[in-house]
Amino acid sequence: MVNETMLTEEKYEQFLARIEAGEKIEADDWMPDEYRKVLIKLISMHGISEIMGALPEKEWVPKAPSLKRKLGIMAKVQDEMGHGQLLLRVTEDLIKPLGRTREDLMNDLFTGDLKFHNVFHMEAPTWGDAGLIGWLVDGAAIITQTNMLSASYGPYARALKRICAEEVFHAQHGEAIIMALAEGTDEQQTMIQDAIDRWWESLLMFFGPGDAKATGSSKQDITAKYGIRSKSNEELRQDFFTKYVPRILSLGLTIPDPTMHYDQGKEEWIYQQPDWSKFKEIVQNRGPKSKDRLRLRELSYENNAWVREALSPKSEVV
Amino acid sequence: MTDQTKEASNQALIELLYQLADDDFILAYRGSEWLGLAPHIEEDVAYSSINQDTMGHATMYYHLLEELGEGQMDDLAHAREASKRKNAIILERVNGPGHYLKEPRYDWALAVVRHYYYSQAKKIKIDSLKSSSYKPLADVAVKVSMELYYHLMHWNVWFKQLIEAGGEATERMEAAIEVVRADFGDVLSLGPLGEDMTKLGLIEKEEHLKKRFQEKMTPVFESLGLLYNSELGQRSGKGRQGEHTEDLQDALKTLSEVYDSNPVAVW
Amino acid sequence: MSLKRHEFYQEYEVFSKRTHTATMQYQFSLLAPNEELALVLAQENFMRREPVVDIWIVKRSNIRKMSPDERASLSRLQNKDYRNTKGYGYLKKKWRHYEQEMLDEKEILSWGGKIKT
Repeated sequence: MVNETMLTEEKYEQFLARIEAGEKIEADDWMPDEYRKVLIKLISMHGISEIMGALPEKEWVPKAPSLKRKLGIMAKVQDEMGHGQLLLRVTEDLIKPLGRTREDLMNDLFTGDLKFHNVFHMEAPTWGDAGLIGWLVDGAAIITQTNMLSASYGPYARALKRICAEEVFHAQHGEAIIMALAEGTDEQQTMIQDAIDRWWESLLMFFGPGDAKATGSSKQDITAKYGIRSKSNEELRQDFFTKYVPRILSLGLTIPDPTMHYDQGKEEWIYQQPDWSKFKEIVQNRGPKSKDRLRLRELSYENNAWVREALSPKSEVV
Repeated sequence: MTDQTKEASNQALIELLYQLADDDFILAYRGSEWLGLAPHIEEDVAYSSINQDTMGHATMYYHLLEELGEGQMDDLAHAREASKRKNAIILERVNGPGHYLKEPRYDWALAVVRHYYYSQAKKIKIDSLKSSSYKPLADVAVKVSMELYYHLMHWNVWFKQLIEAGGEATERMEAAIEVVRADFGDVLSLGPLGEDMTKLGLIEKEEHLKKRFQEKMTPVFESLGLLYNSELGQRSGKGRQGEHTEDLQDALKTLSEVYDSNPVAVW
Repeated sequence: MSLKRHEFYQEYEVFSKRTHTATMQYQFSLLAPNEELALVLAQENFMRREPVVDIWIVKRSNIRKMSPDERASLSRLQNKDYRNTKGYGYLKKKWRHYEQEMLDEKEILSWGGKIKT
């Protein structure tokens, strides 16, 4: 008993030393439960958010206004599904020792145990939203994802490397739509401004609360301890402002926050905090489109159950 | 060539290009409605590539039409009313009950069968078009042909596996085969100007294409222990003559919703 | 249905070759019910944007992987100069003494030339 405890402690020290030395942890390596748990939570949510994130944009795939845009947005939404595939695979290897599979992840999504990003619970009522999602939601995602490119967990870091390479295309796809609208007719300009107004609060929320006090919990400290991510939620949000606020303004668009400005003295962006209680509601599947999108996912799963049933290898009789 | 025959030949060519373009365009559109709803995440990704390829092929044909003075290709794809469309009716049919955003209960068996039949037919046409007398079309056919290998391989695997699975899957597949067969004559039809197309060397005779299709499908069915029914009907009408269903009307309304809000704007 | 619960999701590892002269490279893993489907899913999932001339699919359970302990056996001392040219660098000077060029890697690998057709 004593020996076993000693052994685990020793393993734990070795584990931290490996991370400290910049080594990558692999799926079959020993890892503390806390590490596995936080990875599962982080990566399953990231993965399922890609899958659910395909749905708001998917609304605009058949409606895209030109052949070129139809092709571009199809490829973009396809990538989201592809990113979901990569991340679910990474998660599935982490949950395998716990006897769980993709089927369990899907069920967790349907029961509400597995959450997806706040932004994908929101409405996307116009083509402007399709552009904005590509430009700013993906922009925000690029900022959080590149922050984890050197994550200590090897399979996640490798999946992110693939994902980030494709996100560059997504950002430009979004920029192209936005640019056309910004340089277009008055209606088109209004379309994009409305989309910004609609999405601004959600974009702020995307990075999560600045500290645990806002929503009552935060896994920021644990992810930092294990070398999974380096910057805090607030630092990432500030990075987002630095990269995107000047670009938004340069197109003659406005930000729906009159307090928004860069404080030279403090060297940070000052902004109006979003309503974090609303954030909590939204990620609990009580956002404007949560139920509809979950229903779509659920239907596609149930409706095609016969396909999975038909092709499941029949158990060998011994 | 007199002006009159020149015009007639031009008409036959344009007719053929519309058939090819509209077929690929509407099927790719139906495929795009499936995005995010396929039976398996990995399949969702693969299927989307096929839809992108197919819409890419439609774009190449619309581009040829644009060069022939028919108008801008985006207008050709988005602004033509249903009665002007030359696609086969089976390709415009909905994926199943429901709407792509509301309670879609799409039928994967129909998707597999429709795509498998279509890929086989498309391959036969494309092979014929490779030696089309209209060089720009022959060049496009060579390009399209490259991507068709994958489409055929992909749908072939699904088609065979679901039929061989037995039980509910086989029943669903057989039902879908009946649905597709009843209207598939439309896909292999060259329409009222078919004879002109053949005379001008644009594409082989309809009968040849149909015969080759049968030669392709019969052994596939035999290997699966099924009897191949070579009666390909046009139960819902003749798409090549502009006859279409409500399904196409609804699809056009959706796919041109944004375009219609301002057809001259840059999007 | 619960009997066959997890069987649709078989794990396959995907390898691909970028060009005819390239070696096989590991890509990623996917789930599929059998290898035929795994094969038709592989390219579009992992190589949508890059050239590929060949694909291998391997069922994960057929791979004899190393355990973390076995991976420790892979480290070795860097004292094996005699296995490569580095350990024979002094020959250059020797040959110079005999007024000859050293036949180094670059020189030797340039001898192949092109096969005449």
